[in-house]
Amino acid sequence: MRKDLVFGMAGSGGDGIVSAGDSLLQAASAEGYHGVMTKSFGSQIRGGESSCRVRISTDHVLNPGGNLDVAVALNWEDFLKFGAELPVAGTTVVIYEAATGVPENQIPLVGVTPLQVIAVPIAAMAKEHAGTERAKNTVVLGLIAGWFGIGGEAVMKGISKKLAKKSMELVEANQKAFDAGVTFAKEHPLKADMTVVPSASKGKVKLLTDGNDMCAAAAIFAGCQFFGGYPITPSTEIMQFFTNHVWKYGGAVLQAEDEIAGIGSAVGASFAGKKAMTATSGPGLSLKSEMMGLASIAELPLVIVDVQRGGPSTGLPTKTEQSDLFAAAFSAHGDVIRPVLAPTSVADTFRTTVEAFNIAEYYQTPVIILSDQEIASRKETLDPIDTSQFKILNRLQPSGADLQDYKRFKQTESHISPISHPGMQGGTYLASGIEHVESGAPTNSGSVHQRMNDKRIKKLDPLKERKDLFEITGNPDAPLALVAWGSVAGVCREALQMAQAEGLDVKLMVPYLLYPVAEQTYTDFFASVQKGLVVEQSHLAQTFKVLRMHLDLPKGLQSLARSGANPFLPGEIVAALHHLLSELQRSHEGKLQPQE
Amino acid sequence: MSATCEFQAKDYKSDLKPIWCPGCGDYSVVQGIYRALAAIGRPPHEVAFISGIGCSSRIPGYTTAYGFNTVHGRALPIAQGIKLANPDLLVLAAGGDGDGFSIGGGHIAHLIRRNIDITYIVMDNQIYGLTKGQLSPTSQKGRTTCTSPYGSLENPVNPLLYTLAYGAGFVAQASPTDLAGMAAIIEEAIRYPGFAFVNVQSPCVTYGEEAQQIKGLKAISASLKELGHDPADRLAAMDLAQHYGEKMHLGVFYRNPEPPPTYDALIRERQVQLSQGALPKERILDLFIKK
Amino acid sequence: MAARIDFASLTLKDALDLAVLIEDEAKERYEDFAAQMDQHRTPEAAKFFRLMAVNEAKHGQELAERRGQLFGDAPRTVTRAQIFDVEAPDFDEARAFMSPRQAMKAALASEVKAQAFFVAALPALKDAKVRALFEELRDEEVEHQALVKAELAKLPPDSGLSDDDFVDEPAAQ
Repeated sequence: MRKDLVFGMAGSGGDGIVSAGDSLLQAASAEGYHGVMTKSFGSQIRGGESSCRVRISTDHVLNPGGNLDVAVALNWEDFLKFGAELPVAGTTVVIYEAATGVPENQIPLVGVTPLQVIAVPIAAMAKEHAGTERAKNTVVLGLIAGWFGIGGEAVMKGISKKLAKKSMELVEANQKAFDAGVTFAKEHPLKADMTVVPSASKGKVKLLTDGNDMCAAAAIFAGCQFFGGYPITPSTEIMQFFTNHVWKYGGAVLQAEDEIAGIGSAVGASFAGKKAMTATSGPGLSLKSEMMGLASIAELPLVIVDVQRGGPSTGLPTKTEQSDLFAAAFSAHGDVIRPVLAPTSVADTFRTTVEAFNIAEYYQTPVIILSDQEIASRKETLDPIDTSQFKILNRLQPSGADLQDYKRFKQTESHISPISHPGMQGGTYLASGIEHVESGAPTNSGSVHQRMNDKRIKKLDPLKERKDLFEITGNPDAPLALVAWGSVAGVCREALQMAQAEGLDVKLMVPYLLYPVAEQTYTDFFASVQKGLVVEQSHLAQTFKVLRMHLDLPKGLQSLARSGANPFLPGEIVAALHHLLSELQRSHEGKLQPQE
Repeated sequence: MSATCEFQAKDYKSDLKPIWCPGCGDYSVVQGIYRALAAIGRPPHEVAFISGIGCSSRIPGYTTAYGFNTVHGRALPIAQGIKLANPDLLVLAAGGDGDGFSIGGGHIAHLIRRNIDITYIVMDNQIYGLTKGQLSPTSQKGRTTCTSPYGSLENPVNPLLYTLAYGAGFVAQASPTDLAGMAAIIEEAIRYPGFAFVNVQSPCVTYGEEAQQIKGLKAISASLKELGHDPADRLAAMDLAQHYGEKMHLGVFYRNPEPPPTYDALIRERQVQLSQGALPKERILDLFIKK
Repeated sequence: MAARIDFASLTLKDALDLAVLIEDEAKERYEDFAAQMDQHRTPEAAKFFRLMAVNEAKHGQELAERRGQLFGDAPRTVTRAQIFDVEAPDFDEARAFMSPRQAMKAALASEVKAQAFFVAALPALKDAKVRALFEELRDEEVEHQALVKAELAKLPPDSGLSDDDFVDEPAAQ
C-alpha cells in the first residue's frame, strides 16, 4: 500500500494522454486525495509529443514529485523526448504500448533497471473493446484503476459527464475500454502492492485549479476591475479568466493590439482610479518595461504577472524556468524599485496575488508577480480558502483638506501621497513620465529629481520589514540551509522533510518577496548557516547573484542552479545537502583534534 | 454627472507656461481645445487628456483637465484603458506626427476598429522638433533634414487616408490658419460618439519649411464646406484625402451619419447583463469546486 | 483671415459686437505673444506686445461702451467663431528672440491686415450706419499703423545682423 504515487505519462497529442491525466486528477480529487498535475509539450500545436505528470497523495502535495513511481509510454520516441522531465528509477513501474514491438527486457532506458516493466497491447484493447484506437487513454485509466486503485468509479463518472452530452454510445464504448484496462490489470498483478490507501478526507470539499486561474480569481477578489493583455504562452489563461468573469464585477478586459498596449491600457485604467492588471511571459515583459517605468514615476498602482518560461527570446515557450528575476527587478531604465513577489504553488498564488494588489495600491507602485510555467499550468487540489481572512487595501484618497490645494506628489512622512483620479473634483493634476514637482508640473531640476527619487524609493522601505513575506522552516539555528522560491520551493520543502528524516540539521527559507531584497531578514537567517544552497532554475544563478549584490553571504553558501525545463528532484537536493554536510565535517576535523 | 454651470475657455487654461517656441502652431491648438471644451461645457475634472512624447505632447499640462503626459507613442493605448475603466469621462488624446504615426502608428488602427469614444488630435508638423529636426513619417520625399542630409528617400504616410480606410467614424483636418474653424472641428469631434480623429497642420517655426508656415498653408488651404463636400460621403472623403501634402483641406472629411454603438457603451451593457446573479467576489473561488 | 459674416444683412449692433470681438481677439493674441516672449527671455518684445494688448483692450472698451449706450443689454448674436485673425497677428508671427523691431513689424502687418478686412467688407455692406462704422474702424487702423510706425522710427537704425549669428542652437529635449 502506498500513500503517495507519481505518474508520468507521455505520448503524441493524438493519444490524449494529457486528458487522461486530467481525468485521473479529477477522479482522485473526487475520492478525497490531494494531487498535482503538470503538463509538458513539444513545440507542435497539435500532434507533437505531450506528457503529464500526476502526483496523488493522501497528504498535501508539495510539488509534482521526483522520480516516477509509474511511467506510461504510449510510444518510446515521445517518452524519451521528455528526458529528465520524466525520470525513471529502480522504483518505477514502466507500462508501455506493446505495439511498439520493443521487448520488455530491451526498453530504451539507459542505466536503469525499473522495478517492473509491462508491455500492454493498449491500442489493440481499445480497438477491440471500444471500436477505436482513440480510446487508448481510457484503457490506460482502466489499467491505473486496476493496478493502483485510483479513480475506479470516479473516472468513469467524470468521463460519462463529459461525453453524455455527445452520445451514450460514446460513453458505453469508453466504459468497455476502461473495463478492459481494469481486467488486464487484475489478470497481470504487479510484483509489489502499489495500491493507494483510501483517503481520509473523502467527501470533503476540495478545489481543483491551476495557477493562472487562481491568479485571475484572486485578482478579482482583490478588487481588480481592469485587465489589459496580449496572448502569450504560458500566461494567456489569466486573460481568458478575466474575459469570462470580470464583467460580472463591473470590470472590463481588453485583449490589446500588443504587449505594450496591454500594459498601457492597464496603466490608463489605474490612472482612472481602478485596480488594474496585466499578465505576460518573458518576451512580453521585455516589451512592457518602458510602461513599468512610467507607472513607477507616475506612482500608479499596477500588478504585472510574468509567468516565466525558458528564455532568452522565444526560448522554451512551454517549459518552466526562473530566469526572469533580473528582468523583473531591473528591467526599465532609471533608478527605481519595483516590488517582485513570487508564489510557490497554486494555493499560495491566491495570497500572493492579493498581496501584490495590496502592495501596489498602498504604495502606489507597479508590482510584479513572478509566477512560472509550472505553477501557472499545473493543476492542484486544494482545501477551500477562507477569503474573509484576507484584508484588502485600497489607494489613499485625498481628504477634503488635501483637495483645497491639491498636490498629487506631496511629500509626506510615509512618502506616500494621496492620489486622486479623473472625475474627482478638486483633484486635477498632470501625471507624467517626466520628472515633476509636488503639484505634478514638469521640471528639469536635478535637486527635485533627487528628492523625488528619494520619495519613490524610500516609500517602499517598510516592505523589507515584512517577515510574513518569508517562510522559514526547520531548526532556526541549523548550520545547513536551503533557499528557494517559486515552483522550486515546493521541491525544497520536500527535500527538507527528507533530509530531516535522515537526521540532517537543516532549515529552509522561501521568500515570497524577491525584491527589494530584505537584507536584515536574510542576514538573520544566514547567521547560523555554515553551508547552504540557493536552489534555482536559472543558468546564471540570478537569485544567488541578486542576494550577493545586496548582502554579504556566508562563505559556505553555494549556488545550485541550472536552466529550466528539467525539474529539480527532492532526492538530488538531499544528496547535495549530504555533500555539504561532509564538507562541513571535513572543515571541522582539525578543530576536533586535541591540541598539543 | 455634468455640472450645469457654464464654462469659459479660460477655465481650461492652466498656469503652466508652454515650453513651445514662440510662434509654434501648437499655441493655436491649445486655444482651439479651450474653446471646444468650453462650448461642450464638461467641467475640467471630468476630462482626461492623454499625450505621448514630443513638443505637442506637452499639451495636457496646459489645460486644467486631468492630464497624463505618458511615454512616446502610447497616448492611445493608455487613453483606451482610461475610457474603458471609466466611460463617463471625456477622453482626449493628442500628440505629434512622430508620436502618432511612427512609434505609435500601430495603435490607431485598433482604436478605430474598436470604436472607443476618444478624440485624437494630432499636431502634424512633418518634423521631429523636440529632438531638433529629424525626418518624420509625414515629411515629404526628398526633404533634407539632419537625418536626411541628401534628401529623404521615403514617401510620407497619409494619415487622413488611412484613418478613413481603417473605418474611422470621424475624420477631420484643421489648422491655425483658422482658429475658429479648428475650435468648431474639435468640438464636433468630441461630440461625435465614437473614435474621432483630427489632424491639425500645426507648423514648426523652428524646423519647419517655409511652405509649411501659416502663410504657406493659407496658400494651399481649401474649406471642405466651400468645396461642397458632403461629410457623409466616405468615398468622396477618401478622394479628397489623397491630396494630403499638396492641398490642405480644412473641415470634416467624414462623419458617419449613423454612428454605431461604441465599445465603451457595449461594455456597459455587458457588465449590466452579466452582473445579474453573479457569485459575490468573496466567493469567487467556488468556481473551482469539483463535485 | 477667415470671416463667416453675412455683411449684407449686418446690423449696427452686430457690427459693433463684432468690432469688440475683433479687438478682444487681438488683445488676447498680444497677451499670448507677450507671455511667449517672457517665457523665452525676450523682455523688450514682451513689453511691446503688452503695450499693444493694452491698446487693443482700450479700443475694445471704447467700442463696448458705445454699444452699451446704443443697445443696452440686448443679447449678442454674433460669436467668436465668425471671425479669425482680423486684427490679431498670425500665430506664427511670434518668433524666438524677437527684436523690438521685429515685434513692431508684426504688429504693423496686423494693422494693415485689419485695414484690409474693413476695406474688403465695405462694398458688401447695405446699412449706412454699419458702413460709417466700418469706415471709422478702417481709418483707426490707419492711425494705429502711424503709431506703430512712429515707434519704429524711434528705434536705432537696423544693424542688419541676424539673430542666427548669435543665439544658441535650440536645445534637444
